[in-house]
Amino acid sequence: MAAAAQPGPAAAALLRARGVEIALGGTPILRGADLDLEAGELVAIVGPNGAGKSTLVRAISGLLHPDAGSVLWSGREMREMRGRELARARAFVPQRMPVPAGISVREAVTIGRSARLRPLTRLTGDDHEGIERALQRAGVERFAERALSTLSGGELQRVQVAIGLAQEAPVLIADEPTSQLDLGATVGIATLFRELVGDGLTALVVVHDLALAAAVADRVVVVAEGRTVAAGRPLEVLTPARLAETWGADARLVERDGRTALHVAWLGQEPNTDVRAP
Amino acid sequence: MARRTLVLAALLAGLLAAAIASMALGAVKIPIGHVVEILFGGGGNRTEHQIVDTLRLPRTVEAMLVGAALGVAGALLQGALGNPLASPDVIGVTPGAGFGAILIIILLPGSIALLPLAALFFGLLAATLVFLFAWSGRNRGSTGKVVLAGIAMLSLFTAGTTSLLAAFPERAPSAIFFIAGGLTSSGWENLETVWPYLLAGALVAVTLVRPLDRLALGDDVAASLGSRPRLIRLGAGVAAALLAAASAAIAGLLGFLGLVVPHVVRMAGGTSSHTFVVPASALGGAALLTAADTLARTLRAPIEMPVGPFMVILGVPLFLWLLRKAV
Repeated sequence: MAAAAQPGPAAAALLRARGVEIALGGTPILRGADLDLEAGELVAIVGPNGAGKSTLVRAISGLLHPDAGSVLWSGREMREMRGRELARARAFVPQRMPVPAGISVREAVTIGRSARLRPLTRLTGDDHEGIERALQRAGVERFAERALSTLSGGELQRVQVAIGLAQEAPVLIADEPTSQLDLGATVGIATLFRELVGDGLTALVVVHDLALAAAVADRVVVVAEGRTVAAGRPLEVLTPARLAETWGADARLVERDGRTALHVAWLGQEPNTDVRAP
Repeated sequence: MARRTLVLAALLAGLLAAAIASMALGAVKIPIGHVVEILFGGGGNRTEHQIVDTLRLPRTVEAMLVGAALGVAGALLQGALGNPLASPDVIGVTPGAGFGAILIIILLPGSIALLPLAALFFGLLAATLVFLFAWSGRNRGSTGKVVLAGIAMLSLFTAGTTSLLAAFPERAPSAIFFIAGGLTSSGWENLETVWPYLLAGALVAVTLVRPLDRLALGDDVAASLGSRPRLIRLGAGVAAALLAAASAAIAGLLGFLGLVVPHVVRMAGGTSSHTFVVPASALGGAALLTAADTLARTLRAPIEMPVGPFMVILGVPLFLWLLRKAV
């Protein structure tokens, strides 16, 4: 596990969320979700559509306000943290951000860096270095002067990561960063997250593709019906029995020589048949 | 970067030229050299001094402040609502102010001095109602709710104004000038009433520049960076309401300016960054209104054309030309 420069009590986990509940428009979405993050790990959140994966990461990021439960960032109760303090604890990368006209990649990353500034103060030399570092770590310095509106989906996703990196928070949270990307771009983003975690970052990523989750994550957390139902090493958690119970599919996760695949009986099951695998 | 600096410099030069012309031109032409000397406290003869000090200087300052205020109000609203159609009309301020003014003109013509206050009050009231409705119930503070509540309030106050005019047709002519929008040569009186509102709106606007740039990357990114998207939208609405209501109190209904100027500066500068768009909209709005007011009162002097329609007729071709070139 890589060491991360991390303020606060050394013993406290980076993130400890317990019993998080959220109802949106009267409908309960999260019904008591738990989540832990330790420094230097890459955790993938997986689960079926509508299970509450996005709501969970938005809740622990402070984008939504939990109705119940507690969220502690390095031992600090999130409710008591002000915006700028929270921005130093975690960065949130949405699925796809809007693209304003005439804004270059460097300008967008500069806006990201503004999270570290007091209102109405200017960027310092430190901040300019931070912006360069973020551009370089996300691999976007090559097209830093281009307008956001000219980028491909994969390039834009990297820029979103760069904006998050400019916050220089120890934790980067991303909601399905590869959901709209082609195969090559997905591999690029997966590699990027692995490299960032190798450099000491902690990452929490919502992943739809189970084979991808198993390949990149140190740990997966399974969310179903608003609760976290399992967590652990990917191959130990994503067993055929779990895939049958949570996703209702007859499938098996296979790993060989650093390659992962999901073998699925796409049409193989009769309705109402018990698909519990051996 | 250079392009933005160039645009800002051009706007500033345009504003200076318009301001000088505004003070030099009119029924009595005053040489530019005299205008400059008078502004610095010397030169000119008595009559020239009097014309500049009591008539043209206040009017020019009003034109610059109202133009800047409306430009900034439009820039704030378009940024905060992420909607290119947003303007002080859309959050109800202009129609509310119009209703307040017509109320005085038609029902209390003897107390015409109350007009700026009534315009201010009803403009802010309309905006307050818009934000109260937009901030209640589900999905509160969303762009869609603000815009729809604003359109509803716009319709309501416009209907109120029309009803008043229809009920008292004999008094309607005196309301036309206010509805068309235009400046008057009434000295410093109006500004003395509304300057605190202009100042408050301008101060809030300055603090919103960076948050609006965050909001341009989406509510999620803004929240990741520690901002509160709904608070930014509320702040922008309050600032725009203050600026636009105070503007209406001085110069009637000039909503077009707030809609168009931010678009023009974005197209000219090639960027939607608020660190550029907000100051450029202030300069551009000030330059446009000052120039339009000067033309409106000198082209067919001594007849003063109402500056609102005049500005629209001047501004639309420029706007369409830029629109054609924009991507």
